[in-house]
Amino acid sequence: MTNPITGLDDVVHQRVRLGILTITHEARRAEFGYLRTRLELTAGNLSQHVDVLERAGLVAIEKGYEGRRGRTWITLTAAGSRALAAEIKQLQSLIAHLAPEES
Amino acid sequence: MTTESRRLLSDVRALTGRVRRDQRLTWAALLILTAVTFAAIPVDYVGMTVDCTGEVCAFDRIGVLYYWPVALLLAYAAIALSYHRAARRRGLGTRVMPYAITGAVLTVLFVAAWATVRIYFDSHPPVSFPWWVMVADRLVAPAGTIGVALLVLARLERNVALLVFTLGYLAVVLVPIDFGWQEHGSVRAEFVPQQVINGVVLALGAAGFALSDRKRS
Repeated sequence: MTNPITGLDDVVHQRVRLGILTITHEARRAEFGYLRTRLELTAGNLSQHVDVLERAGLVAIEKGYEGRRGRTWITLTAAGSRALAAEIKQLQSLIAHLAPEES
Repeated sequence: MTTESRRLLSDVRALTGRVRRDQRLTWAALLILTAVTFAAIPVDYVGMTVDCTGEVCAFDRIGVLYYWPVALLLAYAAIALSYHRAARRRGLGTRVMPYAITGAVLTVLFVAAWATVRIYFDSHPPVSFPWWVMVADRLVAPAGTIGVALLVLARLERNVALLVFTLGYLAVVLVPIDFGWQEHGSVRAEFVPQQVINGVVLALGAAGFALSDRKRS
């Protein structure tokens, strides 16, 4: 859902979810454990945010095994890539427009 | 509002940089390239045919032509595999494939250029070429293509340190260092010093990036 005042997407405009999208965009795909370490989150907390992004169609989840160890990989979808680009553009635009008024 | 936006953008930049650093395995790429560069020296020395008539010697570096295409293709495959395995172990994807593909294409270009030169010299007498032809010749030679491909890797990894290193390496390759060893009598030995220098530069690069990685982790 997009905020009518700021033009920011509420799903993406959240620190942790923006972090997940950023990492998966840069890494092509990221393992659950890597995201947890880099974003300094508990497994439960990260799961909730990943679920929100998956329900919005912004990331895809792939579960598999490496040896006996289960691994979960998160991949950015095309919609996720567009949403991340739009969020960054909107943030830059807000800074450009609001900064002179605040100073 | 702007404070929060700035903080989010700053987080995005920091995470992007961190992921890029975690994806790198620059030292391994340079180590593999060092190995193929040093292995080429005996192949070139033994594989070269030299035919001297009085003071004038004709030589043919046929060993180079057989060794380098295979060695480079195997090296790029090994680098891609190393990157892929390391990234997977760290829980990440990798961006190395465009580098490996560029390296393979440049290898094909090198073979095509050398084949063209051989066909040209079959019907033309040896002449002294202008400096820019010699620079272009060194650029499409294996040591030059290694440098050009490394520029692509530096771009993919947004790796400024690798860019600076590669520019230095290309300077050494394109403007050969000569302390007079081309004046002595052995045609076979004439090419050894430059190959050793190229290998040493790559080895120093591998050591430098390995040390830097170790300090960071």
